[in-house]
Amino acid sequence: MSATETAFRNRKSEKAIRIWTIVILLFIYLPMVAVFIASFSKLRFFMFPVKAWSLDWYASVFSSIEIRDYLGTSLLIAGVVTIVSVVLAIAGALAFARYEWKGRSLYQKLILLPIFFPQAVLGLAILLWSSALDISPGWQLAVFAHLVWIIPIVTLVISIQVYGFDPSVEEAAYDLGASRWQVFTEVTLPILWPGIFSGALFAFLLSWGNFPLSTFTTGAEQTVPVWLYAKMVAGYSPQVPALGSLTTLMAGLVLFGGYWLGRRKAKK
Amino acid sequence: MTESILELRNVEKYFGDFVAVERINLEVKKGEFFTIVGPSGSGKTTMIRMLVGMDKPSRGDILMSGERVNDVPANRRPTCMVFQSLALFPHKTVGENIEFPLKLRGETKNNRKTRAIELLEQLHLSEAYYAKKVSECSGGEKQRVALARALAFDPEILFFDEPLSALDYRLRKTLEKELKDIQRRTGKTFVYITHSLEEAMVMSDRISIMRDGRIVQIGTPDEIYNKPANSFVAQFMGEVNQFNVTRQEDARFLDTDTQDSYVGPPGADLESGILIVRPERIQILAEGEAADTEIAGTVQNQYVLGSRVQYEVKVKKRSLLVETMIGDEWNVGESVRLGWNSDQAFLLAR
Repeated sequence: MSATETAFRNRKSEKAIRIWTIVILLFIYLPMVAVFIASFSKLRFFMFPVKAWSLDWYASVFSSIEIRDYLGTSLLIAGVVTIVSVVLAIAGALAFARYEWKGRSLYQKLILLPIFFPQAVLGLAILLWSSALDISPGWQLAVFAHLVWIIPIVTLVISIQVYGFDPSVEEAAYDLGASRWQVFTEVTLPILWPGIFSGALFAFLLSWGNFPLSTFTTGAEQTVPVWLYAKMVAGYSPQVPALGSLTTLMAGLVLFGGYWLGRRKAKK
Repeated sequence: MTESILELRNVEKYFGDFVAVERINLEVKKGEFFTIVGPSGSGKTTMIRMLVGMDKPSRGDILMSGERVNDVPANRRPTCMVFQSLALFPHKTVGENIEFPLKLRGETKNNRKTRAIELLEQLHLSEAYYAKKVSECSGGEKQRVALARALAFDPEILFFDEPLSALDYRLRKTLEKELKDIQRRTGKTFVYITHSLEEAMVMSDRISIMRDGRIVQIGTPDEIYNKPANSFVAQFMGEVNQFNVTRQEDARFLDTDTQDSYVGPPGADLESGILIVRPERIQILAEGEAADTEIAGTVQNQYVLGSRVQYEVKVKKRSLLVETMIGDEWNVGESVRLGWNSDQAFLLAR
């Protein structure tokens, strides 16, 4: 095979790969684009293609006190879930990937199992338990439900970082006179930081977008996904795609902002 | 008289039923370069972990400057260790790594930096390394940074867990000499662990040889080389010629395999044992030369080892190793007379 022929083939396969990638991305993103377009519709009804455009629905979303409440609840739940799950998952990940102890292999399986529970069943189960214990649903119960599902995921994300970490580094710090706490803050935490950061992003975004757990557990204090669903089932207005687009946008901002922060830190 | 800085009394360590080290007694003097040598599985890593304070002995006492330190954890001992993996902090710069022990003591930023740069200089690294990332350093540079960090701690005893084992031969040789040089300049006590007796010989004042969790011999490099306690020690340094012998009459010994007769080493008091002669202690005798013990053989192979040449000489059914300086050439197939004087051999119990 001549050199030019190889180059041609490479160019051809490169082009094929590029097209394939674009097709996959379109497949993933087109449905969201549909929602995005629908949010600019002037009509009250969900109709495609859109004939008249307007920003009215965005204005009504921003001016709605009701929606502001839902956003606040979503944010509150996601914030608390992020903090609690990261703290617990750091300890959980060290137990998962760093230390040898009896029952570790069983723990490794049990901790991951909740990820695969059907979430609607998990939400219902938590609701049943809470009513048996006489705890009324609300944002606190939603936090609890989210944690059941999200802690395992964050534990797994941080564990990946722990696996790539040389334990002798901790021993060296200890040997050089650091206390256990200093070893943790000076060595363990900074080295695990990238994993903790991605874990926190996961926790926030998964909680922010969660519907099945929230629908059973939030009670009167609805979150944005729960409200979106309720509106879709009954009483649709283009506020739904408008708010949907906004929350997706917010998730994207958090994600890319996170990447950007992480990269800036790595460069330093 | 120099005072003892580290003393082990009947130290033993068990992991369940497994005896990692047993009946360890040794004393290290202040300012000494002391090396513990042993093959893998000999218990030397267990030893150093107890010395540093990462593990506690199951029995016996560890004393530092006369005080029992068994229960003093690693972070409260006036000692520190250079790890086999070096254990440099990957998220800190070279400077921050070196400053770490000083930071823990609450030294000011300025003092820390001055000291770190001093140490870098002492280890032949320029000031430019201060701000470098650890990942930008080569293997040898990382070694120096790890040593600088340990020196910044200003330990009474500095332990080393085979830190040079991952380096290539030439760099290792350079660093061995540098390490010895730094030890001499700082006057610190170094306790070094390695599986290479050759490495130990270059650097150490005294060497302790371990096997299967026990100390086989403690002595100066000269003693280890010339008066090995048993054939394990004798073979540790390299290939040796061994003969199974029993006493024949007075100073003569009979080779029970070949029926050859050798003149035993002066003062040998064993009735039978293993007679050991190192390859470089056997001569190929020229016309007119004589030795206490002489045997005839045929040159079978010749290997050039740089400044020396090794010959494999067939004597009856077995072959002996002989090393001479390069220059005397003997050809393969040539008949030669081998000889050694009685004081070049030693007799060890079987």
